[in-house]
Amino acid sequence: MKNSISVLGGTLENLLDHGKVPEQGDPAYPQMAHMLYQTRRLSDNLMQLLALYKEVGKPTYPFEPNTVPVRELVQQVAGQARVLLESKQIALELEFPADLLWTFDEDLVIGVLAHAVNNAVRYTRDRIRLTIVERDGLLELSVADNGMGFPPSMLEAGALVGQGVNFLTNSSGLGLFFASEVARMHKRRQVAGAIRLENGGPLGGGRFVLTLP
Amino acid sequence: MTTTYITASGAPSADIADVDWAEKRYLIVDDFVGIRQLLRESLRNIGAKHIDQASSGGEAMTLLLRTHYDVVLCDFNLGEGKNGQQVLEEARVRNLMIPSSVWLMVSAEKSVESVMGAAEHQPDAYIIKPITEGVLLTRLNRVWHKKQVFREIDAAYIEKDYLRAAKLCDAQVAQHKVHEIDLMRMKATLLLKAGEPDKARTVYERLLEEREYNWARTGLGKIRMANGDHEAARQMFQGVIAENRFYIDAYDQLAAALTLLGRHEDACGVLEKAAKLSPNSVPRQRSLGNTALRLGNVQLAEHAFRKCIAIGEYSIARTVDAYLGMARVCGQKGDIKEALRLLAAAQRDFPGDLVQLRSKITEGLVYHESGDFRRARKSGDELEALLEREPKRPQTATCIEMATLLFAVGVKDAPVELLCHVIRNNHDNPVLLEEVQKIFDKARMGEEGMEYIAAARREANEIMNKGVLLWKTGKLAEAVEWMRDARVRLPDNMRILFNSAQMLINHMQLHGYDEALMIEANGVLMHVDELAAGQQRFAQLVEQLQMLIPGRAQTPEAIDAEIDALRGVAEAPAA
Repeated sequence: MKNSISVLGGTLENLLDHGKVPEQGDPAYPQMAHMLYQTRRLSDNLMQLLALYKEVGKPTYPFEPNTVPVRELVQQVAGQARVLLESKQIALELEFPADLLWTFDEDLVIGVLAHAVNNAVRYTRDRIRLTIVERDGLLELSVADNGMGFPPSMLEAGALVGQGVNFLTNSSGLGLFFASEVARMHKRRQVAGAIRLENGGPLGGGRFVLTLP
Repeated sequence: MTTTYITASGAPSADIADVDWAEKRYLIVDDFVGIRQLLRESLRNIGAKHIDQASSGGEAMTLLLRTHYDVVLCDFNLGEGKNGQQVLEEARVRNLMIPSSVWLMVSAEKSVESVMGAAEHQPDAYIIKPITEGVLLTRLNRVWHKKQVFREIDAAYIEKDYLRAAKLCDAQVAQHKVHEIDLMRMKATLLLKAGEPDKARTVYERLLEEREYNWARTGLGKIRMANGDHEAARQMFQGVIAENRFYIDAYDQLAAALTLLGRHEDACGVLEKAAKLSPNSVPRQRSLGNTALRLGNVQLAEHAFRKCIAIGEYSIARTVDAYLGMARVCGQKGDIKEALRLLAAAQRDFPGDLVQLRSKITEGLVYHESGDFRRARKSGDELEALLEREPKRPQTATCIEMATLLFAVGVKDAPVELLCHVIRNNHDNPVLLEEVQKIFDKARMGEEGMEYIAAARREANEIMNKGVLLWKTGKLAEAVEWMRDARVRLPDNMRILFNSAQMLINHMQLHGYDEALMIEANGVLMHVDELAAGQQRFAQLVEQLQMLIPGRAQTPEAIDAEIDALRGVAEAPAA
């Protein structure tokens, strides 16, 4: 199943990226872009389910923090989102300290950020900004957009998950729960990671924030 | 300094840097054709021209035999037959990979199963699907860079020059902060191998001040265990498991600690749990089988040994222990025919005198345990005859196993001779002396046994003292010669071996480098390492020996200078 989704997503990306389909003006183009978006969501959700449900009862996710240049984290997240964002004509703005190193489980954090970007695609008008800063000894990674902001139900879900409530009513809840589990796994000197959702971010829309110790 | 890019197309792409990925040879191994096509597409996008594909482990092996690939992208799950880890192990063991080549293990999901290969056969990196070009290139560059950083360290490691390798780790950390944790982890491993547990502990403790790394906490536990503080070690491993229920190494270590504490039932339970979480480890299934057999849990032992044989089929970790253990299980279930079939298979598939001998011992035990005392006696007689013909004795554990069987079937002289051999070679190991005394007691030879033990110890001491006396009185050549003979008589005596190596080194320090002596000293030290790895004196002697090699740095200052020079080299292509 994971293989099938990988192939589906990869093929769509190749088609959109190399002009093998009708040009951008063609009505088929946005439809394919949307297919890619949906495929990405499916793939993310499946990855999250696999990682999470292994953890419950049958614990098999090998959590492995490693030192990663923040630059390379950004490269990988931006690389994953590139075709999707271009096909939907959304600009991705990146802001990060050029030479900073941080220690975290790279695959998990890429998973959380890539999902946050996908999520922002749903809310944004045409801009998404990924910002990473070091603040008070914590790494703050945020994904903001210039849309209308999160609906109250999402903000509420974010607050509940942030307090450690297992909130799993829909796919947005799954993404949030996954992100908060990832945050929680990262610990340094008794401090654990956290997530939060807020409106009125730097671009005026919603903003997802992950902090890592 | 903050970098801002306004659009994604202006985003930083992974640097192609100093590596020409276009000219490398690539092998893609995946049983799913769609994934192979996607990966090939990704590789072409980063410029690759030479790409081969395999759809199974067997096909991959054929290609690996024909071509030296620079990069292998191998899926962990390959359907029937070998899995990705087994292909990697075989490729490494058969030397099909050049040191600079990169092995990336691909999996649909990250799980303990897919990332828990044998420690010495880890791939260079794991990548989770879906794989995008950005991730692929970033990881390839990183692995490449890391290989450069570790090249000298790995070379020293292979030469078992652990202390030098540990110093190189420090030198590299200063240059490559991004690899600091990996370098410190390696340094601690090296210090442990060099028999410097206190220094290794300092490294682990410093890392743990920053973050709770499972492997560092487990490392501390291992040090406690080696120091004989088994209870403290047990608590540490338990603590790691409470925090991270998936960290399998802690289970294996916990089982070892419990065994040392004499808590065999608990050890068995822990191994059973670990084998459920991660069943595809030959050593784990072997430990479980042996522990269960010892406890008389035949059913569990059978299950473990069966699994051990099944997973061993395609693995280089395949072990004769599983066949011998399974034969014991069959014997205890009264299936002598199957037991003998397994013993025949063991001798056919694992050629060598030692396996033949161990099979014969197991055969005797199988007969004995199934109540066929007449045939057990016959096996005992055959063993006795074998011992008369062949003066060379196997390692301690096998000698003890053999003596136990021979006493059980009523043979007297041969087991006494074996146990005396064991004592002579371990004359200063009180735990073993006690174990041997118990075997004598059980054979109702308590008092005679005590005398045999005393005589054997005396003999070993005399041989040793004579050698040291010659050495201390300046008769170095005679001392070297005396120790050479002593090694024939006491081939596994650690102190004799160490002193012998020390004298050979001393001879070269005084009279200059001599290739024959160098080879001899090296052989002695490698034998020591095989008998019991991780001893402080071993590491020190290897370091002294390395310094004697012409062209190598001769003094500690010279080594530091050499390392400084290396630093300079590393600085040039600063990342």
